Amino acid sequence: MNIIYVLIPLSLILMVLAIGFFFWAVKNDQFDDLDTPALDVLDDDEPASPEDTEQPDR
Amino acid sequence: MNPSASQVRSGCWHCGDSIPAGVEIRASIGGTERAMCCHGCQTVATLIDQAGLNRYYEFRDALPERPELGQVAIEDYQAWDRPAVREHYAKADCDNLYSLSLVLENVHCAACAWLIHRFVGGLPGIAEIRVDVSDGRLHLRFNPERTRLSQIAARLASLGYRPHLDSPLAGTARNQTERRQMLKYIVVAGLGMMQVMSYALAKYIGAWQGIEPETERFFLLISMVVAVPVCLYSGQLFYKSAWRTLIQGRIGMDVPVAAAMLLALFSSVFITLFGSGPVYFDSVVMFIFFLLLGRYAVLVARQNAGQLHSALARSLPVQTRRLGADGPETVSLIELAAGEQVLVSAGETVPADGRIVAGSVMVDESLLSGESIPRRRVIDEQVMAGSLVRDGQMTLQIEELGQSTALAGIVRMLDQARTYKPRMALMADRLAAWFVAFVLTGATVAGLVWWQIDPAMALPVVLAVLVVSCPCALALGTPVALAAAARGFARLGVLISRPDALEKLPRITHVVLDKTGTLTQPEMRIEEIRPVAGFDPDRARRLAGRLERVSRHPVASAFARFDDGGQVEEAEAVTAAGVCGRIDGVGYRLGKPAFTAELADAELSEPGPGQWVALGDDSGVLAWFRIDSPLRQGARTLMEGLEGSGMEIWLASGDRRANVQRVAQELGINHVRAECTPADKLALVRQLQAEGGRVAMIGDGINDAPVLAGADVSMALAEGADIARTQAELVVTGKGLGRISTAFALAPKVRRVVRQNLALSFSYNATALPFAAAGFVPPWLAAIGMSASSLVVVLNAHRLGRSVVVKRETEDGRGQTNNPAEPASSPSPVN
Repeated sequence: MNIIYVLIPLSLILMVLAIGFFFWAVKNDQFDDLDTPALDVLDDDEPASPEDTEQPDR
Repeated sequence: MNPSASQVRSGCWHCGDSIPAGVEIRASIGGTERAMCCHGCQTVATLIDQAGLNRYYEFRDALPERPELGQVAIEDYQAWDRPAVREHYAKADCDNLYSLSLVLENVHCAACAWLIHRFVGGLPGIAEIRVDVSDGRLHLRFNPERTRLSQIAARLASLGYRPHLDSPLAGTARNQTERRQMLKYIVVAGLGMMQVMSYALAKYIGAWQGIEPETERFFLLISMVVAVPVCLYSGQLFYKSAWRTLIQGRIGMDVPVAAAMLLALFSSVFITLFGSGPVYFDSVVMFIFFLLLGRYAVLVARQNAGQLHSALARSLPVQTRRLGADGPETVSLIELAAGEQVLVSAGETVPADGRIVAGSVMVDESLLSGESIPRRRVIDEQVMAGSLVRDGQMTLQIEELGQSTALAGIVRMLDQARTYKPRMALMADRLAAWFVAFVLTGATVAGLVWWQIDPAMALPVVLAVLVVSCPCALALGTPVALAAAARGFARLGVLISRPDALEKLPRITHVVLDKTGTLTQPEMRIEEIRPVAGFDPDRARRLAGRLERVSRHPVASAFARFDDGGQVEEAEAVTAAGVCGRIDGVGYRLGKPAFTAELADAELSEPGPGQWVALGDDSGVLAWFRIDSPLRQGARTLMEGLEGSGMEIWLASGDRRANVQRVAQELGINHVRAECTPADKLALVRQLQAEGGRVAMIGDGINDAPVLAGADVSMALAEGADIARTQAELVVTGKGLGRISTAFALAPKVRRVVRQNLALSFSYNATALPFAAAGFVPPWLAAIGMSASSLVVVLNAHRLGRSVVVKRETEDGRGQTNNPAEPASSPSPVN
C-alpha cells in the first residue's frame, strides 16, 4: 500500500497541471463560444448534397 | 418528435410567418420547392441555397426575423474601408491582419453562427471568424488588402444580419471576465471534488474492510490539502457576496451558504489537526461545485438578456456624405465634427442633430416621436439624428453629435427607466431575507439544543441544517423554468430577452399599445374611394397612380400599385399640397382638398373623418380617396384575446388625435391618449402602476423605448427600431401581431411550472429541515439531498421547453384555432 504515498501526490501534481492548462485555455478564448463548435462537428468540409439533407436518419 | 424549428412548417419556410392569402412565392431549397411569404425571404433563402448552406434549416432552433427586401450594395458600407474607421475600431497585428468586432442584428441561435461562418468565412484573406451567439457579436481577423471590410459587411447584410461597428465598451469586456472567472471556479471545484470524493470513498471502504490508521490519517491530510485551497478559491463568489450584504446591514441569500461553507471547512481543518471526529471536506467541495453550476446558468441567462450597448449606433446610419472643399465625400460617423456640413438625401438616415442650411426635406420622425406623417422641414429648421429623410435633399449643419444628440437623450432616459424596478423584484428580495434569517435562527437553536444533549452532535446538526435548507432549488426553480420556456418560445418566433417577463405575463391587468407601426403597418393604403357620379373608380385610381409617380410623399406609396405607366406631362409635386400634371391634354390635381379646389376655383370640404385626398380637374373634384395605414394582421384577434381575458387596453400614441381616435374606434379601444411624448407615455404607465395595475407595453419605436423599459412587461415588434427591440423583454418576429396572442396564451402554462418548482423545492426544504435538526441527516446526505432537489427542479423545467413547441404543432394541425382557454392536447407537464 506504500505506493499510494507516491501515486496520490503524483495525482495532485497532475491535477494542478490540468487546472493550469484549463486556465491557459480560458485565457486564450477557448471557452468563449460554447454553442457553435457543436455544429461544426456535423459539418463536412464539402457542402452537403441535397439528397443528404433531405433524408436525415430517424 | 423532433422539436427542431425545421419541423414546424405550416408557414413560410424561411421565417415561419403565416403566408398571406394570394401570395404565391416559391424558392427552390435543396431541390424542393418551398413556399415563401415575401420576396425578402425568397432572396435570403435562395442565397443560402445557392451557397449550399441549406442545412441551416435543419440546425436552427430559433426562427429568424423577416428580412427586408432590397439589394445590399457594397457602396452602402464603403466608408468602412476608410483608414479612420480601421484606426478607430480595429487593431492591427504584425501579419498585417486587422481584428475587429461587429455587432450583428438578428443572430438568434448557433445555426446563425454556422451560416455566417460558412458564408463569410470563405472569403479570401479572412484569417479568423467567430460569432458569439449570446451577444450577437462577430469577431473578425482579416487582411483588408484581400477582402475589404465593406465586402464582408455587404455579405452579412444580404443574409439579413445587418452589421454595425462596435465601439469597444466596458460592458462586454466585463461580461466576458465574469464568465471566464466563473468557469475557472467551476473547473477547480469540479476537479477538487473528484479528488476529495475519491479520498473520502477510500475512507468509507476502509471502514468496511479495515484500514491502517496511518493510511487513514494520510487520506485525511491530503483531503485537507486539496479541499482548503479549492474551497477558498472557488467559494470566493459566495464569501464576497455574503460579506457585501452583511456590511450593508442586510442578510442575503449567500449568508447561510457562506456560513455553512466556512464553518464546515474550518471545523474540519481543526478536527484534522487537533482533534478527532467526522470531517466534511467532501461535502463542502461538492456543495460549492453544485452551487456554482446553478449560478453559472443564471449568469449566462442574465448576460444573454437584451443589452443596451450599441443601441445608439444601431439607430444611426453607417456612413454619410460630408461636404468638403472639393465636393461631397463619403465618410463614417466618427470622422464628423460639429460645425461640418453633410448632405442627406431621400432614403437616408440623419446622422446628427443639426440645422438645415440648404434644401428642404420630408423627414419621418415616427421612430423618435410616433408622429405617423412625415413633416416638411426647410432652411433654418432643426432635424434630429435618427430620423429618416423620405423626400428631398438637404445640407445639414451639424450641431450635436453622438452622445449629445436628442436620440442619445432618449437612450439615457430608458437607462434610468430600467433601474426603476417594479415591486416584484423587491418582494423576492425581502422574502429571501426572511427565509435566510429563519434558517440561521433554526441552525443556531438546533445547535444549542444539541449542545445540551450531545456536544459531539452539535456541529454536524448545524451543518446539516445549513446545507439541507440551502435555498438553492428555491432560487433555481424559477430561473431554469423561465430559461427553458424562453427556448421553447424562440422556436415559435417569440424571442425572450429577459425570461422573468414570462412569469409576469399572466398577471398583466393593463395593456398599453402604441399605434404607429405597432397596430398599424408602416405603409399607406387606399381605404376608400368615392368618385363623383358616373366617374369610373378604376380610372380614378389609374390617374392618381400616374400623377403620384413624381411624389415621394408617403401618401404616394398608397397609389404606386395603380400606376399603369402612362404618360404624364408637366408633372410636379407641390410641397405640402399634392401633385399636379397633364394627362391626355387634361390638367389634373391630386392632393389636399384646398389644393385641388384651386384648379376649379371651388370650395371643397372633406367628405368624412380621416385623411382624404382629392383628385380633380378644372371642372371640379372627380374622386375622393381615403388614405390610411392599414391595421396589422392579427390586430383584431389580439384585441379580442386581450379583452376576453379581462385586460384593460390603452392606446397611447404620439400621433395626432384624429388618427388615433379612428384606429381606437375601429378596434373598440376605449382608453385613448393621443399626441403623447415619450415622457407622457411613461407617466401613463407609472400612473396605471400606481393604481395597482400590472402593465404590459407593446411598441416599436425609439419613442416607445423608455416606456418599454418602465412597463412590467414589454414587447416589441422585430420590425421596429433597434432600441425598442433591445429594450423589450419579448420580441415578436414576423409582420403580424398573432404571435403576441400566442405568448399571452402560453404564459399561464409557464407560470404553472414555475409554481410547481417552487412548491417542490419548498416542500423539500420544509420536510428536510426538521430531520436535519433532529440529527437524522449527516452533512454528506444533506449535500446530496440539496443537489437532488435542484436536479428535480431543473428536469421539471426542461419539459417546458419541449411542451411549448408541441403545443404549437398541434395548434397548426387544427388550422390555427386560437383558443387560449382550450387546454393543450399535447402531453402536458401539468397535473
